[in-house]
Amino acid sequence: MRPMNVLSPLGATSDTIKPLARRRPSLAGLRIGVLDNSKPNADVLLGRVAERLAERVSGATITRWQKPGASHPALMIDEIAGAADVVLTGSAD
Amino acid sequence: MLEGRGIPAVVLGTDAFISLARAAALKYGLPHLAVATVPHPIGGVDPKIVGGKAEAIVDEVLAALTRDPARPASQVATLGAVTVEAPDDLDAFQAWAMEQRWSDGLPVLPPTAERVARLLGRRDRASVIATLAPLDGRATLEAIAINAALAGAGPEHLPVIVAAVRALADPAFNLNAIQTTTHPCTPLLIVNGPIAARLSIGGGANALGNGHRANAVIGRAVRLILQNVGGARPGLEDRATLGHPGKFSYCLAENEAVSPWAPLHVERGFSATTSTVTVAGAEAPHNVNDHGSTTAEALLLALAGTAATTGSNNVYLGGQPVVVLGPEHAATIAGSGWSKAEFKQRLWQSARVPLDRFSAENLARFAVIAPERFVGRPPGADVPWCVSPDDLVVIVAGGPGKHSSVIPTFGATRSVTVAIED
Repeated sequence: MRPMNVLSPLGATSDTIKPLARRRPSLAGLRIGVLDNSKPNADVLLGRVAERLAERVSGATITRWQKPGASHPALMIDEIAGAADVVLTGSAD
Repeated sequence: MLEGRGIPAVVLGTDAFISLARAAALKYGLPHLAVATVPHPIGGVDPKIVGGKAEAIVDEVLAALTRDPARPASQVATLGAVTVEAPDDLDAFQAWAMEQRWSDGLPVLPPTAERVARLLGRRDRASVIATLAPLDGRATLEAIAINAALAGAGPEHLPVIVAAVRALADPAFNLNAIQTTTHPCTPLLIVNGPIAARLSIGGGANALGNGHRANAVIGRAVRLILQNVGGARPGLEDRATLGHPGKFSYCLAENEAVSPWAPLHVERGFSATTSTVTVAGAEAPHNVNDHGSTTAEALLLALAGTAATTGSNNVYLGGQPVVVLGPEHAATIAGSGWSKAEFKQRLWQSARVPLDRFSAENLARFAVIAPERFVGRPPGADVPWCVSPDDLVVIVAGGPGKHSSVIPTFGATRSVTVAIED
């Protein structure tokens, strides 16, 4: 069997890697943001993890936001970026 | 997006759906974004169980928020139109194409440079028609033609496929959700105008079935583009629980010649001589059999009875259900003196689901998602199957016979109509 040349049907995607935000060594005194994607029980999962994180240090606070539905992009990113130092969010079901 | 603004973030999800979070991160150039997973599922289970799953990942999340991750050395980027060596035996090629995840499972034809060039003709192959979710893959004319070549489409079909891609990328369609949802939906392509007859796009007998090459290859090319360019691979980024057979191909023409009313594209402001394609994020068709009724009023019972169902997305997410009236049913309705607008109004009034057909859990959930339809309703109340009569998409298609079809949609999506540049 000889090889045959074909063209790949895959689309070109982003070829740049962006840096992640710099981490601080501790969550002490930080504002923990929770962005709930409104899938069933996402609030329980995200909320419990946030509470446990806040309990481990002093002065951490929790603020919650909820997307109107999982199938919509979050429209409150600006607000969250101004009111949280770290963020937990949910993906899919 | 938050990471780009200096806010450390962690995405929490279940192991079954982690591929979606990875795809989203890759799209934003963040393949190293922190993701923490718990065992699937978290929905539909006791919140106490979910709490227990949460406890198990607290340390992992804390580490992800407080330790700088290593930056990946290089992004794995696909630059498109890459030439690849494949087996030249057609049967061996099928297994190979499945291994690459290029195929939908039916036989595909090799997209050789020669076949792709024939499809493109003099078109500018580098022209970007759209970027397609979830991976934001660039749908260049070349990438579209390569997938059309896989699907077995001809150059004459390309304008319809290109127009469909343009429509799918309209933000109103919400392609990312359509591509990645667990719900069984896929673009239904409705072709209107003179191009339908010229390309023999079936709108008559068995319009939604087999036996029409144009319907088959246009719909299939669009599906392969969504899979290969958009990056929604079945079971990976495409999270459909069951899917439906229209995900191989889902395309028909409106049977304008026998419709008693203005066709869909004219309703939407296009001239009758313009050719258009409409995309709707649609479930499989559900048949409405009515051989007896002789008036619009009587026919409404079977149509509304089939439309109003408890398990529909439209009943709590809204959106635009599609009704495909067979020509004989359409004639019966128009014979009672009803316009298309009046038919939509009357069908919407009749197609209602009583609240006692929903479980208490679902009523609580829908009250948050659609308070206007589910909060403060008296006992014995019902809800319409979509938000407004104007949301109904009604077309006439099919051949002789006493059948019509109701097609629920994903809900969080609007159908989009664009002109075909021929």
